[in-house]
Amino acid sequence: MSALSIVAEGPGKYIHWGVIQISVANAIIIAVMVLLFILALVVPFPTHDDQADEGHSR
Amino acid sequence: MTTRASELSPDATGPSELSPDPTGDPDSWTNRLRGWFEGLVPAGQALPDRQPVYVASWIYVFGVLTLTALVVVIASGVVLSLGGATWWHVSSVGHYVNSVHLWSVELFFGFMVIHLWGNFWMAAWRGRRAMTWITGIVLFLISIGTSFTGFLSQSNFSAQWIAAEGKDGINSIGAGAFFNVLNPAQMLLWHVVLLPLSVGLLTLLHIILVRRHGVVPPLDARLEN
Repeated sequence: MSALSIVAEGPGKYIHWGVIQISVANAIIIAVMVLLFILALVVPFPTHDDQADEGHSR
Repeated sequence: MTTRASELSPDATGPSELSPDPTGDPDSWTNRLRGWFEGLVPAGQALPDRQPVYVASWIYVFGVLTLTALVVVIASGVVLSLGGATWWHVSSVGHYVNSVHLWSVELFFGFMVIHLWGNFWMAAWRGRRAMTWITGIVLFLISIGTSFTGFLSQSNFSAQWIAAEGKDGINSIGAGAFFNVLNPAQMLLWHVVLLPLSVGLLTLLHIILVRRHGVVPPLDARLEN
């Protein structure tokens, strides 16, 4: 609990890029969301066709 | 409490015995309301077990992930409201439920934004789906307000700081007279009654519209087919 309090009270790290100012934590979360979005588009979705011997369409 | 005629007499086959409306009055409000309910979603589309082949993509999963996170948000919020502020501040179980509420909200927003990105780039308002898109956007905005009032309802120094910082912004748009962020009781009631009710009803409408008009196909679906 005390360790968490120290972390919470510490100054946040920020990225400064011209008029844009964002905390490192928020930037990481946004980057992970963009990564998830890209993965959702390119990673194939498992379908019954992949598992079944007979090729029934969905 | 009534019993269906078919349950009372298994051999009954006459239309008068099986008819759901013995009076046969098409203008009765019961019949009209039932017809309205039955017409909300096409037959078999309320909980379909088959979908078009283009739905086999991970991007279509984020809508239901958002809904799942919302269920956890509401369930943990109900438990928090049972225990109260003292409980979630001092009890270990209260801390845990408080954290479940926070992190399910984080996941709710993350899933919802990815769902929004996917539907924006698919132009999901195509094919008479404008209201589906609009209800989704309104849901996003109301959810931000619900989250904001939630941070104001923590009953700690963080809530006080957010309220003190937020009051000028709220006042600048002229809403401070009826939406006072420095009033914790008002913010708590907005957070646990008014806004969740709005989110719940709009989510129901959003899902009915999705089931009514079907899932939007990708932009190139017609070219492939």
